[in-house]
Amino acid sequence: MHIDEEILKKLEKLSHLRIDESKKEEVIGQLSEILEYVENLKELDTEHLDSFFSTLPGNTPVREDIPSNDPSIPKEILENAPQSEDDFFIVPAIIE
Amino acid sequence: MFETVIGLEVHVQLNTKSKIFCSCPTSFAEHQNKNTCPTCLGLPGALPVLNKEAVKKAMSFGYAVNATINKRSIFNRKSYFYPDSPKAYQISQFDIPIVENGELYIETPKHGTKRVGITRAHLEADAGKNIHDGAVSKVDLNRADTPLLEIVSEPDMRSSDEAVEYLKKLHSIVRYLDISDANMQEGSFRCDVNVSIRPKGSEEFGTRVEIKNINSFRFVKQAIEYEVERQIEAWEDGVYEDEVWQETRLFDVNKGITKSMRGKEDSADYRYFPDPDLRPVIVTDDMLEEAKHIPELPDEKVERYVNKLGIKRDDALVITAFKEMAYYFEDMIAGGAKAKTAVTWLTSELLGRLKKAGIDIQNSPIDATTLGKLTMRVDDGTISGKGGKEILDYMMENDARDIDTIIEELGLKQVSDDGAILAIIDEVLSANSDKVEEYKSGKDKLFGFFVGQVMKASKGSANPAKVNQLLKERLS
Repeated sequence: MHIDEEILKKLEKLSHLRIDESKKEEVIGQLSEILEYVENLKELDTEHLDSFFSTLPGNTPVREDIPSNDPSIPKEILENAPQSEDDFFIVPAIIE
Repeated sequence: MFETVIGLEVHVQLNTKSKIFCSCPTSFAEHQNKNTCPTCLGLPGALPVLNKEAVKKAMSFGYAVNATINKRSIFNRKSYFYPDSPKAYQISQFDIPIVENGELYIETPKHGTKRVGITRAHLEADAGKNIHDGAVSKVDLNRADTPLLEIVSEPDMRSSDEAVEYLKKLHSIVRYLDISDANMQEGSFRCDVNVSIRPKGSEEFGTRVEIKNINSFRFVKQAIEYEVERQIEAWEDGVYEDEVWQETRLFDVNKGITKSMRGKEDSADYRYFPDPDLRPVIVTDDMLEEAKHIPELPDEKVERYVNKLGIKRDDALVITAFKEMAYYFEDMIAGGAKAKTAVTWLTSELLGRLKKAGIDIQNSPIDATTLGKLTMRVDDGTISGKGGKEILDYMMENDARDIDTIIEELGLKQVSDDGAILAIIDEVLSANSDKVEEYKSGKDKLFGFFVGQVMKASKGSANPAKVNQLLKERLS
């Protein structure tokens, strides 16, 4: 896959990141390099594997349905949020 | 002529005690952000651990709709940015859902019982809530990571009525299984509708439009009907390609119309991939066995009521539509009430009165045992039907519940004693000897007159069946 301005624009949008005009060329170069590196993986024979194959064995552990939480933790997290008020996280208005 | 094609996606909030990937409580209407922790707030390094009960509830649903339970299913990340989703992705099942290929049956006026396929039901995490407040939005993440079961139907419905029937049936099944409160107002049973049209006879599907988050059966019907009309109009005006495209629309409750959510170019790109924090879900035979223990469901109840209890199918459908009603009915039967009498007194007499008073069956001031006892007294002739209704009215207003005592107090006991009734009959007949002559000479209609006179003379306390029988004997 070839990275061009068009794809970079789409990636900016998907990632909610803005790449400065002056850095675009550099970023395109870096992303292309990463993709080339990943291309190496294509040498592996994955014919008989599904997309969610993992080298980790076994299943995800499960827990019993027993509720518990420490209300001091969300308090602390809220205090460290960029903006909070009356125990709400505050974000710029979302237009629906 | 056009055909409407409808498929439904229902998000059912599972009623587990804790969230799907952390131990935070799922209690409703708590102080904002009280039920949160690093995992459901998406803080770096916090890892999800799956709630076993959520898996079990999903599997029970699978059994209830005759589906395949996948012993191995996968959690994926669905990426999107929105403040109510602090991870910037939703954990959902994409590649392999836990439940696939199910079905349920609805009653339709045109085609009788109709099968609706259930494509899949998968586990996923709910989002939090945004409250819009002028220049800012306030975010409450108590609901974030509450377990959801998303149930996706096949595009098998052909009218808004069928869609509503499907939803009602699904709602009822979920309530019987006790896997969700399924409260539409509180958002624990939410519905997305996929609607398209095609010329009648065409095999090909039209362009599917999704209408999101509709929170009542009535709005589902309205939204579908509006959308179908919009699409047909576009077709007939020759602008179908321009005006109908695969998009998400919102239903405006006040105007009764659907509105586009975003432009044609901005289609979502969710970039699904397997969540590296969660290994595949592999259900053990023990878990499968446990999930198989499900209560008797409405379809089975209808069969049993009709075949074993001998009640009408329509009545059985009414009673089983809500589990509270079915359990009430079954409690009446368990207490000794006759099925047919129980049906009448429950569905017309009690429900009529509850409806007037604005009370649900689960909050009925008269319990099943009491109503059952009342019907038994009607059946054994102790009181008349009219007397029974009087007692019901009395109990709606008073706390007394001992039926036999109430019968005594209100003086509603019927006279069934032959001797006492015969005495009244003889009195009536001798006072109307002219009419007795007429009757005997062929004026059969007068029989009703005699019955009326006897009932009147007994002040309504005589058992009408007995009066009929004894009068016939006397007049023959």
